[in-house]
Amino acid sequence: MTAFILRRLLQTVVVIALLSFFCYYLMTLMPGDPVDEMIAANPDITSADAERLRQLHGLDQPAHVRYWNWASMVLSGDLGYSRTYRVPVSEILGRSLFNTFVLAGAALLFSLLIAIPLGVWAALKKNSRADYLINLFAFAGISVPSFWIAIVLILLFSVYLPLFPAGGTSGIAFGMTPWESFTDRVHHLVLPVLSLSFLSIGTYVRYTRAAMIEAMEHDYIRTARAKGLSWNRILIMHGFRNALIPLITITALSFSTLFSGAIITETVFAYEGVGRLVFQSIQSNDFNVAMVAFMISVSMVLLMNLAADLLYGVADPRITYS
Amino acid sequence: MTTAASATAPGATVAETEALHSRYLQAQPMWKIVLGQFAEHRMAVAGLCVIVFFLAVALFAPLISAVTGLDPDRQNVLNRFQPLGSWVDASSYERELRVERFLRAGNREALEAHLHGLNLWEIEAAREDLLYELVIHYPPTELRALLESLAAPDHLAQDLAEFQRVVGGFLSFHLFGTDQLGRDVFIRLVYGTRVSITVGLLVAIIAGLIGLVVGSLSGYYGGRIDAVLMRITDALLALPILVVLIVVSAIDMNKVLGGTPLAFIVDHQYESVIKMVIILCVFSWMQAARLVRGSILSIKEQEFVLAARVLGARDRTIIGAHIVPNVIAPLLVAVTLGIGNAILFEAALSFLGLGIQPPTASWGNMLNNAQEMVQHAPMLAVLPGLLILFTVISFNYMGDGLRDAIDPKGIRR
Repeated sequence: MTAFILRRLLQTVVVIALLSFFCYYLMTLMPGDPVDEMIAANPDITSADAERLRQLHGLDQPAHVRYWNWASMVLSGDLGYSRTYRVPVSEILGRSLFNTFVLAGAALLFSLLIAIPLGVWAALKKNSRADYLINLFAFAGISVPSFWIAIVLILLFSVYLPLFPAGGTSGIAFGMTPWESFTDRVHHLVLPVLSLSFLSIGTYVRYTRAAMIEAMEHDYIRTARAKGLSWNRILIMHGFRNALIPLITITALSFSTLFSGAIITETVFAYEGVGRLVFQSIQSNDFNVAMVAFMISVSMVLLMNLAADLLYGVADPRITYS
Repeated sequence: MTTAASATAPGATVAETEALHSRYLQAQPMWKIVLGQFAEHRMAVAGLCVIVFFLAVALFAPLISAVTGLDPDRQNVLNRFQPLGSWVDASSYERELRVERFLRAGNREALEAHLHGLNLWEIEAAREDLLYELVIHYPPTELRALLESLAAPDHLAQDLAEFQRVVGGFLSFHLFGTDQLGRDVFIRLVYGTRVSITVGLLVAIIAGLIGLVVGSLSGYYGGRIDAVLMRITDALLALPILVVLIVVSAIDMNKVLGGTPLAFIVDHQYESVIKMVIILCVFSWMQAARLVRGSILSIKEQEFVLAARVLGARDRTIIGAHIVPNVIAPLLVAVTLGIGNAILFEAALSFLGLGIQPPTASWGNMLNNAQEMVQHAPMLAVLPGLLILFTVISFNYMGDGLRDAIDPKGIRR
């Protein structure tokens, strides 16, 4: 087990290192560079100055040298300096990472709470009208563009019915009691969480339904009924427990979808998270922020995949990693 | 699971039952079975109908544009954000353009002189400027009424009628209103259908082919080729795809392709469309590759392949006659489901301003600045999204129906 985890961790680290180079290389292929931005901001810079600035920041060197410099800097603990925000990267990163975790976590929890009962219900009432309706809802969930559902939610719940704010992470925090600032945060979270959950609810419902139908067709369900176990006990201990394995896979894997989807949701709702940070820093040529935020997103996803593999063992005792 | 016996309706006569049985017992070609199964999935058939409709719209977009006289790029800044179903006057630029076309189309001097001689107009203008001044000065409806009240001499009647038709054409109907530049939303949606569906189809088909090649190599030869290809596939699958797509879409094609034989793509009118297709292809072949590899691995071990090999069949025969047919069906499902995904990714990137670039309309970039204008013109934000939803849900249902239909375990007969 330990050997397995270590081997997988090592593989993950290698993949992350390769990806970071790949991403760094892609960033050099984007239009413009930081010096162009400086020239745009300050017309007094002459072309000789620009050349000197490029040399000073090492921008005249080939991509692999620059990558090596960047990587050794990051590994020594210095994440660099954000050109747009004018603060060290580590300062903005912590806050946005926390915000994204709150958003993605809440969306995950909410979608599981809605999707599992719906999926189980659809599986038990297979081919009934309720099943068709739930299926339609699930298909709509996986087919709807996430930014569009966000816009529609804004239209419905902040333009027509002004119940929730159309964007932002929190109101003006000045003079609020801790309880007020908490409810304010929650208030700002409602629409983003709803829009982010829509897609994952669709996915989870479909998987729960399929897994539950399969589990309930097994012979041990009949045996359990013959033994006279209560229906609820059969459902939970024999049916649902066995439907859990595919569900865990898809939940862990969909964490990457949540993280990805958060880019769109955060952008639409102007929510200060990592996704929006990646998008904005790429748009404004803020390499240091973009690289670090990108690496964090990728590492999160890869670690989640690893966690999924480990969780199988918990859900299904037949799986061992020796 | 329905068996042949229980497929008989309870109230059926003996003859009917026997007819049903003989139909089920007859050998049917595979495609007929699949078609029959597919037809039973009601939502899949509905999806197919929606898709055929949108394909027709995409195919006949220029025809629709010609018939309605609407142009996706024609701006009309004085009539921005018109509501659904509104009549709008053409912009003065457009009116002058049409008068010019009218004057060029034939010898109109007699008509000009005749109109100039009338003591009817509120404005003074030289004879050759008169028609231009008229269409600018008078609102189209008023001018039309004035022209209709005229009685022209016989030799001018035809010219006058033509001019009346030109003036009549100044008023255009906008079923879905106009956007932030006064362009007709309906015709932009029609052309957007073209772009979005083309991108979806191309990406899914090309990605399916890449997946077929990678998966076959990996599955059939195994060993080191398999290990390398599958590690690449896994690494790409593990990526948060949207984040990577944003990074990749932001790259400057000039820096990559400048100076290579492919540089013509950069100068192409539809550069952003081609770029989008390439990028989405690179990141969407992995599912297909794993699927193909999986099917090949399981088929390779089955007895009929061993039998063929014992009979002396060559690799080519085994691949062509035994493996490909068993792989194509699941691949078809993956491609169908892939179309919907490609459309969604294209829409998301275009929404962020990284995908299809204006003035080319796509469903995604029509939503690009819809968010800021949600208060002025909510329909601008709602309509393109609804079309995306309808199309993608149709492709997903169709893929679902196909999967059920080709699944040998699910065949009901």
